[in-house]
Amino acid sequence: MNRRSLIRALLAAPLAAYAGAFAQKSVPSLKFSELYGRVTVRGVEYSERIRSLKGQTVTMQGFMAPPLKPRLDFFVLTREPMSTCPFCTTAADWPADIVLVIMPDGRELEPSTRGLTVTGRLDIGVKRDDQTGFVSLVRLYADRVTTA
Amino acid sequence: MRKTLLTAALLLSGVAAAADLKVYPYDGAKFLAGQQFDLRVEAENVTDFKDATVTLDGRAVDGLTRTTTKPTSVEWTLRGLSVPAGTHELKVNFTDASGPKTAVARWYAVPATAGKAKKVILFIGDGLGWNTVNAAQMVAHPFNPANGNPTGKLAMMSDLSSMASVTTSSFDSALADSANTASSIATGQKIMVNALNVYPDNTADTLDNPRVETITEVLRRTTRAGVGIVSSAFGVDATPAAFAAHTRRRGDYQAIADQFFQGSVKPDVLLVGGSRDFIPSTAPGSRRKDSTDWIADSQKLGYTFVSSATELNAANTGKLFGLFNIDNIPSYLDRAQYKGAETLKDFTDMPYLWDQTRKAVETLDKNPDGFFLMVEAGMIDKYEHPLDWQRAVWDVLELDRAVEWAKDYAKKNPDTLVLVTADHAHSLSVYGGYDAAQGPGKREAVGVYEAAGFPTYGDKRDANGLPLPETARTYAVGFAAVPDYCETYLGRRVFLDPTVSNGKTGAEAGYVPNPKICEEGSVQRTGNLPPSSNQGVHTADPLPLFAFGAGAENFFGMMDQTDIFFSIARAMGVDASKK
Repeated sequence: MNRRSLIRALLAAPLAAYAGAFAQKSVPSLKFSELYGRVTVRGVEYSERIRSLKGQTVTMQGFMAPPLKPRLDFFVLTREPMSTCPFCTTAADWPADIVLVIMPDGRELEPSTRGLTVTGRLDIGVKRDDQTGFVSLVRLYADRVTTA
Repeated sequence: MRKTLLTAALLLSGVAAAADLKVYPYDGAKFLAGQQFDLRVEAENVTDFKDATVTLDGRAVDGLTRTTTKPTSVEWTLRGLSVPAGTHELKVNFTDASGPKTAVARWYAVPATAGKAKKVILFIGDGLGWNTVNAAQMVAHPFNPANGNPTGKLAMMSDLSSMASVTTSSFDSALADSANTASSIATGQKIMVNALNVYPDNTADTLDNPRVETITEVLRRTTRAGVGIVSSAFGVDATPAAFAAHTRRRGDYQAIADQFFQGSVKPDVLLVGGSRDFIPSTAPGSRRKDSTDWIADSQKLGYTFVSSATELNAANTGKLFGLFNIDNIPSYLDRAQYKGAETLKDFTDMPYLWDQTRKAVETLDKNPDGFFLMVEAGMIDKYEHPLDWQRAVWDVLELDRAVEWAKDYAKKNPDTLVLVTADHAHSLSVYGGYDAAQGPGKREAVGVYEAAGFPTYGDKRDANGLPLPETARTYAVGFAAVPDYCETYLGRRVFLDPTVSNGKTGAEAGYVPNPKICEEGSVQRTGNLPPSSNQGVHTADPLPLFAFGAGAENFFGMMDQTDIFFSIARAMGVDASKK
């Protein structure tokens, strides 16, 4: 599968229409190392940069953590490829710097082992997903997901 | 007609099926005389329950609470029972529509004896099988290349008073995990995989299972001795939890954190790694679902709280609570040698296991009535799982420094027993030498038999005097039980998982070698574990037990892991029947 067809496979078809529009704009990119400021035994503090970007559209590169379902309306983006499914076990030792990616309503993607670039609206703060019980600190409400 | 007959037969057999009876403690359980446990009798597949009698040594058991968890079950529970020394028989006579049924459980309780050890320091290397100890020994003290003689021994192997080889198993499996094995050491019982100090039951609630008293609870109930718990793993991980908590599910992190401070052990010293389960849910990074803040609340209970090596070393108190990371304390190599900013983050002043051990003993020593201290080197196992033998073995070297300090303490305090053992093994094995100059992942760089030569560990040393894993000639070390992965033979400064998801879900979900590791230069190994395994697994291989000082003679030969509990009780002269 070449890069173009993989992107097509990743994206639900109507979403592809958004891709062109966003590609034109210059979107700030956020690195995993920039998510947090101080991390202490009392918890993590958000970095200045992530607080200044809250609510804005940003782009991040990473890998999809082991997925929960065959078609995904949400997934976890990690700095390194990993084998631990964040949703599957309470005892998982997944890293602190992970990002929950939420697809738009009605848009789903297929799981991928490739590096991904996610563009979407950044949200921060402690949030517990009612369905999975998954607690996220950083979220991207995705407009676009492509292979990196 | 044939179908009808079959249906009739099935219906008849359904009516005739007798109820299933289960009794906990299980048949064959062994206790200390006076050690407390919860009695639970469960009848399943019950049709029209009629009556039941429960007798202990021929006398009716008083105080049983009867429940009905589901329409086809009846249960009886009595908490906090104990039995005097000798053999005992618990008998259940049960009758329902399918007729009478009987279940019998025989127990044995060992009498108390006089003991010599007033203070016990129990080191548990998580995943420290014999072969892992040996790999650490061969790194710390390579053979003399002039004649092949050993050049020294790990402290844990030197000047032994006694030693044993220990076998493991679970209540429900031949293989074991860290929860049930630590529970075996803590209670003398066989326990289910993933359970802490409880027997099975038929309810969904993981916190209501029948409990059995731990050595730390017995000491709290019958003596004034202090209790300390130390680990390099996150604070509520299985091994530290096994000395203060009871739950069917080791993942009940919040409940375990609460039991440390609200259970019957309430350790005087708790020095552990990750803090996520001790901080309120409002703090980003917390794993709790409520607003409890054990950092603040522990101080109201009289604990001094410390969160760095500097604070730990300066502490002078009788009750000490320390958390030194938000997650596990990273490996020794990450802390002492690699010091990667992404690994250490803001945790640049974490204590070594020997710092934690020394301060725990100094704190507990303020109590004239002795103490029991469990010290876990928790990260050995956590790096054996992802097949990172260097990080695992260097954590054994760190543990050995802590043992060295404890042995020195025991020499000055002859009423002290020091034990070093493990909870379970991994399939690690040293099988050759490796010419590191050829780079990673070269099969031809592996030397076997005489071509293994003598590795050169120790040519360079870190600030603590420990060797570096990077040297001209290393050992070839591997694991027997593996997923598909890429073998590089050499370590790496930034940790990587050996496998990544194959991107599929459901029945097709599986794991493939981490491409980042494969790119380093590697030999791709086909795994022998089920496709659902993403890392190495525990093995049933035997474990070492090294004993030093007072009461060490109680540990020798081939021991089952549950025997460790009884030998500690004998060494300390514990009388669990004391009020």
